[in-house]
Amino acid sequence: MVVGEVASATDVLVVGAGPGGYAAALRARQLGRRVTLVEKAAVGGICLNEGCIPSKVLIHAAELASMGAMAADFGVTLEASADLKAVRASMERTIGGLGRGVDALLAAAEVERVSGIARFSRPDRIVVDDGERVRHFEFEEVILATGSRPVALRGLERDGERVLDSTDLLRLSSMPASLAVVGGGYIGVELGTAFAKLGARVCMVEACDRLLPLMRPFQGEAVQRRLASLGARVMLGTQARELTQGGLRVETAAGPEEIEAAKILVAVGRVPNTDDLGLELTEVELDDGGLVLVDGSRRACPHILAIGDITDGPALAHKATAEAEVAASTACGVAASFDPQAIPEVVFSDPEIASVGWTPESAERELGAARSFRLPLSASARARTLGSRGGLVEMIVDGDGALVGVHMAGAHVSELAAEAALAIEMGASAEDLALTIHPHPTMSEALAEAAWGVIGRPLHAMRPKV
Amino acid sequence: MIEFRLPDVGEGLEEAEVVQWLVAEGASVVRDQAVVEIQTDKALVEIPAPAAGVVARHAVATGVMLRVGDLLFVLDGDNGEVPAEVEAKAARAVAPPRPAPSPRSALRRVKAAPAVRRLATELGVDLATVAGSGPSGRVEAADVRARVAAPAAAAEPSGAGEPREGLGQALVGNLPLVGLRRATAEIMTRAWREIPHIHGSDEIDATALLDLRRRLQDRAGESRSQLTVTVFLVLAAARALKRYPLVNASISSDARAIEVHGEVNIGFAAATPDGLVVPVVKGVDTLGLPELAREMERLRGLARSRKATPDDLRGGSFTVTNYGSLGGRFATPILLPPQVGILGFGAIRERAIAVAGRVEARPTLPICFGADHRVIDGDLSVAFQETVKDLLSRPAELLIDPRHFDFKV
Repeated sequence: MVVGEVASATDVLVVGAGPGGYAAALRARQLGRRVTLVEKAAVGGICLNEGCIPSKVLIHAAELASMGAMAADFGVTLEASADLKAVRASMERTIGGLGRGVDALLAAAEVERVSGIARFSRPDRIVVDDGERVRHFEFEEVILATGSRPVALRGLERDGERVLDSTDLLRLSSMPASLAVVGGGYIGVELGTAFAKLGARVCMVEACDRLLPLMRPFQGEAVQRRLASLGARVMLGTQARELTQGGLRVETAAGPEEIEAAKILVAVGRVPNTDDLGLELTEVELDDGGLVLVDGSRRACPHILAIGDITDGPALAHKATAEAEVAASTACGVAASFDPQAIPEVVFSDPEIASVGWTPESAERELGAARSFRLPLSASARARTLGSRGGLVEMIVDGDGALVGVHMAGAHVSELAAEAALAIEMGASAEDLALTIHPHPTMSEALAEAAWGVIGRPLHAMRPKV
Repeated sequence: MIEFRLPDVGEGLEEAEVVQWLVAEGASVVRDQAVVEIQTDKALVEIPAPAAGVVARHAVATGVMLRVGDLLFVLDGDNGEVPAEVEAKAARAVAPPRPAPSPRSALRRVKAAPAVRRLATELGVDLATVAGSGPSGRVEAADVRARVAAPAAAAEPSGAGEPREGLGQALVGNLPLVGLRRATAEIMTRAWREIPHIHGSDEIDATALLDLRRRLQDRAGESRSQLTVTVFLVLAAARALKRYPLVNASISSDARAIEVHGEVNIGFAAATPDGLVVPVVKGVDTLGLPELAREMERLRGLARSRKATPDDLRGGSFTVTNYGSLGGRFATPILLPPQVGILGFGAIRERAIAVAGRVEARPTLPICFGADHRVIDGDLSVAFQETVKDLLSRPAELLIDPRHFDFKV
């Protein structure tokens, strides 16, 4: 125990300046509290600096690079080549601009910024070490928003050279001839698809029997078909074993096999950053996976709240931001509860994937009764004019006809997720959605049409007479 | 070895009762870790360890009254660092009530829009108890507000509701009368035995009050949850006390003198998991509505989390009790000695009342003023209550800056 150290006092201390932490800091300032925000790296967290944002730049670049075939269908000849160094520079510009924007917001709100690594030194005190000096903080409430990091795979530990995590992959300065992607979740699918479009020979290795195993089967299948058409290999029910001279040894149902891989991306999940916070000094309880247990107001124990990837639920930036709103309110004495009806999930694959709310099975099981309808996007005029083929919108309603779930695969469906989420949150019925005029020709018409479908009167779908 | 004696934890405190040992004999503590909870006349106080070490012995058992300077516990200090592991274990040994972790489930279906759910959380309304007026039973904002304004509709069929968790629950057998329970018992016995109470009752048309509150809440944004009905009641009491200073007084313990107070310090009764606590807002006569709302919110939070200091709980010159927040309509509150007045309020409910010759359903607020008859006679009692009634039925005057407040307005 350190005796006699001088501690700075603040009302609300926020640890981590990712999409959860900086939002919590800003909201707590709006509620009139003195706020101190601690971050060990750059503002925006993994999302802005190493995750969502740079990967979207890469994915967009890959999309541009792969447009030649589609452009030809529209009478346009394109010749594309990609320079990963220049793509990286584009990422840096985007990251820099957004980061400066957040910095400016925090400065305008007069949030006190502290650089360094935060750790509890006592149940009611946090010490921040920036490598040169150590500062102590006392607080009324602390909001922990320390995020997560990629989980290591035994036998395939990251070396930053051949075995990479997503951050390393986004920093490559030259195109690998071949890339093995271990893990067919959303990160693996997004990056695998992008590198396939940029010309790498991609092999996806997934232990489950489909890609995107946590999502609807039709979504993983749509992604798999597109990967195949890009020349990528998809190995399902396959375990990655170990590095070999030129690649990776895997174990398939049929036996061991060696695949060629200049680089290997391991993206098999994330672990919460709760192991090095000194939480053992506090009353915070962790579950077996290291997640902080919190109540609906985001409180873990008196004076300590937690949000984002270190708590239960999908590790998504928008979930962290929504929890930040609740945690900041709670920390400032305003009653609040995290009680969403739906947390949208989107995958920037090809086609895009979006899921909101219940599935037909979970609705049937948990809500008693459910009906669902699947609208093929071949019925969407907008999808056709964009040159997009295939795709599906699945809509689920409860026994009262209220919307409870929408699952989609298709062009730009990430932009449709919010309408579905709003409808579910508002308790809208399928009829409300169907009778809302959707502009033509847009992808959003598919939601209205699917709503007509679940009501039983689709205009653009046929029931063959038997 | 350190012999730790009961310190003077507050002005005027002479004795205190040991309520609960938070650290077992033989367990390690870190410096400043709470070792024992004691109850003074005013507050529950956690006594921290003066240094790291091992609690060698509790000098007394739970329930024992100690005087300042009496031995409380013996600490074997180790004059050095306690291993972090031990510190951590010790820190966990103190376990104040913790929130129940939410079950690891997916999403819970609620038929109410996000803004309505937020409103319900802020107003403390359980959506499951509100009948929704929207399509397919969806709960609308108006349903939630109506539930707060007139809990009658849902809550009135008495006996059907769930009791507050733990309320009235006990095992058969003898229970020690300790802690807050004993403090309450002693004060109430004294008040009941010594003070000749008189009570007066009336009902107030709360239409304008609820309307004003709703409009202020709409403007208040984030802080609207602080604008409880009780805030208006306390404010009205403060204004009426400025008009009748004799009600803002104390009687000496030998009943030979009356001290009329210059400052209006109003205690408001707050039910907490530990029992009845009465935090005191100081200088209500100088506060406007927003400041009063913030201060009451702050004190209520401290009381509920058992962090109220003795200072937060003493110095009251008058008390307001809103048993209506628990659903009760009519009651006769007992004075808190040495104060000479207490205002009680019941639940606002729609009742048929005569308005200009017609019967109308109006939200009505029961009021009961309890006074010490040694100091206050019936005429003053009625006049004071009429003033409060007047202020609450035409509440716009409550918004006037207290420095300019004057009944001639």
